[in-house]
Amino acid sequence: MTTPKQDTAATDTAATDPDAIRDWLLDRVAFYLERPVTDLRPDVKLVEYGLDSVYALTLCGDIEDEYGLELEPTLAWDHPTVDAIVTLLREMISGNR
Amino acid sequence: MTAATPGTATGLFADLDTPDPLDARFGDPTDPANPAGFDAFLAADERGELLPAGRQVVDGFGLGAEFVPRGLGGRLGQVDDLARVLRPVFRRDAALGLGYGAINLISSATVWAAGNAEQRRWLADVLLRNGQTAGAYTELATGHDLVRSRLRATVRGDELVLSGGKEVINNIARADAATVLARTSDEPGSRSHSLVLVDLASVPRDRLRFLPRFRTSGMRAINLGGVEFLDCPVPASALVGGAGEALETVLRAFQVTKAALTGATIGSLDTQLRTVTRFALERRLYQRSVADLPLPRAVLAGAFTDLLIADCLATTVCRALHVLPRQTSVYAAAAKYLVPMLTQDCVDELAVLLGARSFLRDGPYGIFQKHLRDLPVGSLAHAGETVCQATIIPQLPRLARKSWFATPPAPATLFRLDEPLPELDFDRLEITAKPDDGLAATLLDVEQDLRDDPLLGPLCGQLVAELAALRADCLDLAPRNRTPLAAPISFELAERYAIVLAASACLGVWRHNQDHPDPFLRDTAWLVAALGRLTARLGRDPVPGAAAVEPAVFAALVERHESNRGFDLVGRRLC
Amino acid sequence: MRHAPYELAAEFDRRLGDPSDAGRLFSHARCAALDDREEFPQEICRELDVLGLPAHYVPTEHGGTLRSYEEAVQLMRAVARRDLTVAIAHGKTFLGAVSVWVGGDRDQADALGAEIAGGTIVSWGLTEREHGSDLLAGEVLAERVADGYRVSGEKWLINNGTRGHLVCLLARTARDAGPRSFGILLVDKRKLDPASYRTLPAERLHGIRGADISGIAFADAAVPGTALVGPEGGGVEIVLKSLQLTRTLCASLSLGAADHALRLGTDYALRRENYGSLLIDLPQSRRLLALSYADLLLAEAVTVVASRGIHALTGELGVISAATKFFVPNLVEQAVKRLAKLMGSRALLVGDTHEHGRFQKVQRDHRIVGIFDGNSVVNLHSLVNQFPLLAKSYRRGTVDAAGLTAATTLTDPLPEFDRDRLTLLARGGCSVVQALPAGVAELTALVARGEVPESLERTAIGLKLAADELLAAIAAQRPAAVDVPAEAFDLAERYTACFAAAAAIQLWLRNRATVVDGPAGALWRSGLWLEAALTRLLGRLRPARPDGTDDVFERLVEPLVAQHEAGQLLSLLPYQQQEARR
Repeated sequence: MTTPKQDTAATDTAATDPDAIRDWLLDRVAFYLERPVTDLRPDVKLVEYGLDSVYALTLCGDIEDEYGLELEPTLAWDHPTVDAIVTLLREMISGNR
Repeated sequence: MTAATPGTATGLFADLDTPDPLDARFGDPTDPANPAGFDAFLAADERGELLPAGRQVVDGFGLGAEFVPRGLGGRLGQVDDLARVLRPVFRRDAALGLGYGAINLISSATVWAAGNAEQRRWLADVLLRNGQTAGAYTELATGHDLVRSRLRATVRGDELVLSGGKEVINNIARADAATVLARTSDEPGSRSHSLVLVDLASVPRDRLRFLPRFRTSGMRAINLGGVEFLDCPVPASALVGGAGEALETVLRAFQVTKAALTGATIGSLDTQLRTVTRFALERRLYQRSVADLPLPRAVLAGAFTDLLIADCLATTVCRALHVLPRQTSVYAAAAKYLVPMLTQDCVDELAVLLGARSFLRDGPYGIFQKHLRDLPVGSLAHAGETVCQATIIPQLPRLARKSWFATPPAPATLFRLDEPLPELDFDRLEITAKPDDGLAATLLDVEQDLRDDPLLGPLCGQLVAELAALRADCLDLAPRNRTPLAAPISFELAERYAIVLAASACLGVWRHNQDHPDPFLRDTAWLVAALGRLTARLGRDPVPGAAAVEPAVFAALVERHESNRGFDLVGRRLC
Repeated sequence: MRHAPYELAAEFDRRLGDPSDAGRLFSHARCAALDDREEFPQEICRELDVLGLPAHYVPTEHGGTLRSYEEAVQLMRAVARRDLTVAIAHGKTFLGAVSVWVGGDRDQADALGAEIAGGTIVSWGLTEREHGSDLLAGEVLAERVADGYRVSGEKWLINNGTRGHLVCLLARTARDAGPRSFGILLVDKRKLDPASYRTLPAERLHGIRGADISGIAFADAAVPGTALVGPEGGGVEIVLKSLQLTRTLCASLSLGAADHALRLGTDYALRRENYGSLLIDLPQSRRLLALSYADLLLAEAVTVVASRGIHALTGELGVISAATKFFVPNLVEQAVKRLAKLMGSRALLVGDTHEHGRFQKVQRDHRIVGIFDGNSVVNLHSLVNQFPLLAKSYRRGTVDAAGLTAATTLTDPLPEFDRDRLTLLARGGCSVVQALPAGVAELTALVARGEVPESLERTAIGLKLAADELLAAIAAQRPAAVDVPAEAFDLAERYTACFAAAAAIQLWLRNRATVVDGPAGALWRSGLWLEAALTRLLGRLRPARPDGTDDVFERLVEPLVAQHEAGQLLSLLPYQQQEARR
């Protein structure tokens, strides 16, 4: 369902490191929620933190810009936790999907 | 069905001097003896009834086919054509235009976007035989917040069982088909709703209740009702698209409906302006014609300018659905937000000119107060102001960061009124805009060529400065201000962005239609006036000398009025 | 603080009872039903008669209970708050009579006073089908005959034209053109030969659907000479002076409409949830509400000053009334439109789905206030005509200090209204506006003493600069009698904003130490309502890009909710509402 844009996909190691992706994502989520990142867990559904459908779309735009990908904007609807998104992104960036 | 071949690829301007076919079917609006004239529509409005003669005209024209894609045997091709086809209906009666016309697009667009071949064929058939449909998306308690809507659909064997109510639904009591938004999961979030296409005639009658009609101050003739499903079984095959896909489908399909509806309602503004122009030319005050007094001339020229602005934005956004489908999530919201607002302000000014006659329900200008009452209903219908702003706001920071002052301008095709467009493809519409804001970039592009123009140069300069300021402000927005729950500043920025888009649309339309048969539209007077109106809305000081274009705009208005042409960009002969 | 006109109105309101109680004659339910059927609110008007409202249309010197026009404004506001159709249908008698208070002789006025107190309905016959606001083009002819006049012609769009017993008629008494060719006749329809006149059918209207807006056509009607009010040839002058009073009083109708709409909006915002929050907690909805509240308070301040000005600044009423009649209905129109956005579909629904469809009714009804009794264009034109005097007086800083103090100090007694001080030429310009620089200087001094925030001072100074600039532009306008350029109307509109700002500043300065208690007190402390009002006006005069720092509207929400929860009117001054709280 998602297709990386071949010409711009980030391939350096920092970008594919799952911990780095997770930290960056948690930072973004914390930014939107205006809560300290230490409050957040990567395995909790974003919607349970109050990150509604609109934020989820916005978050997707941020990911596209950060990693040079073109994604389904509903990515965070279908992969509702930070961990789920990290898994997906890793696969995409390493070209497994 | 020979009269209706609007939007054929060859030559939008070829038929400028032959009357608009649908308008011709309606006949002279001001003739009291015309069964589809203003007096008849006024009387029907009083009765709260869609004028039967009006419905006959619409049925005779086969309006239902306009909402059905060509591939399914209908005439839906370009969305800008659809908007123009609907204008004559809105010129008469917005209730007929929405409640017997555009509503069918609102209910069917989701099926064109996500339905399977069988569903599409069935619904096309309903519309092609002038059947009526209803879009049962919203509930009174939750309004446009679809994520919280409660009517539910549960799978039971090979059936879906609907339970719950939908209120303030146009056409529901007389519809053959209804598109129902239903909750299919208890999970919060955006994957819990699905669309169901219901054949209302085949539903068991004891599982269906219809609510009494809701009455509104305007569009009194529309049939707003409600429906309650009582454990009502429908075949599982009624599910449109996949389970959980409703919100996504709606976010795509409603771009088309918002744009088309916005473009269609310009017909109403045409009537308001035409009515008051006629009044000003006929009425004498202080020993002269009202149209000879400076203030009324300024008001009328301003209203004509606003109508052209509205058409530039609406037409451009309709065409963008074909040309820039990745961007129209934000463009359609901007048009549906700004055009009703411009229209309302402009109609309020016209009402002052019409004076006491704007308050009378009878007499030669009685149609004015009807359209005045109808307008807010049309503005709120299918995404009101706040809902549209809430769609724009979350998208602004990314456009600011990645697109403004970076993206290249939109292609000329976007603006060339008579150039055919690629097919509308619902799948290419994105539910949020990508950072490729070509329409805003057109401002920067055209501005470069106009720097030396003593009027357009400074006007464009003000707009570019606004876009630059918008960029800084949007980058600065706190996270909470990037959501529908944002502080007022975000709503103000969304408004300013919509104004900049409108200005870009005007510039693009002017630049790329230098072969327009009407010299007035090739000339710069209207463009100066339009940019002047828009920059005034941004609170910018008037550019010295810009007011000098007013006589040219006023003269064009009178010319169009006297030759009985539409006031829109095309300017075709009316009936 | 207890302010007598508010107390009087609240007491009258109390006797009318809770409007949400359908068993009261003047109830929301009944008003909605009457509107639906386009029926004249006869029984409600009778209730107002029973409660003695007509006597308030008659000055005390002519046997009535009208002591001050400030009282009249607050009474009419209370009626209009419940229903504009009723206020316009009943209050019309005052409009019909005012020419007699302004231009009639003692016996005429006393006799009319007795009639009105006894329930006689008086209408005002000014406009004609083909001439609208162009009074000098009037064609209704009163030809002098041996024992009086023979009247012919048609007056159209006349409030209570059919129901009225008496009609105060502006008629041509000479055939040549000009302002001295008209007289006023107080025509008693009951005494006319029925064959010599007919009433025209009531027009079907966009709003105030139940009102009797009709007309009357005379055919050689014999009217006695004693019907003449004032001198023959004095008709236009009397009408123009009367309009100075009525245009000022019209603000009460707008205030009542704004009260009604804002209350509906506040109720809704405190109960409705969107996106999982109450509307009052959603920043944008909250802002729409606060802005509307700020507008209402400003409209109220202007109306209070203007209505007191009838007594205290009578000679400047030509300016005050035009500015007020333009400014207040327009501001309220904007506020109601904004509240409609807050209310969404509830603002459009008719019938029982939401509050008897009251919101859409208020919105439709209120449109008439901007149209009748001199519409926006007429009032702005009137100001344009006075530009040279206004510019000169501002430059000189002419201020009638005693008059201004009396007009703005609520604890000061108002002087008796003296009709002889009414004038068509406001020689002193407008003291309210001309006192703007001094008022701003006073505010600055208070900032220095830490009594008001610096943000208020900045806004006030901005307004003074804008006013200076505006009055310079007004001075530079070339006078034009007929072909008034559109820009002049724009300047006049801005002038009304300066007038509003200046009125608000004076009102706050003179009463800030008096209004201290309760939720209203919170509005006056630190100049809160004033800062909100001035911020709105400065935004109009000098639009700026939004910067997100205008938190004065945020600060308004608390007193708004407090007033509402305490069952008080949303108002500058305490006023207990009758309506049951929910």
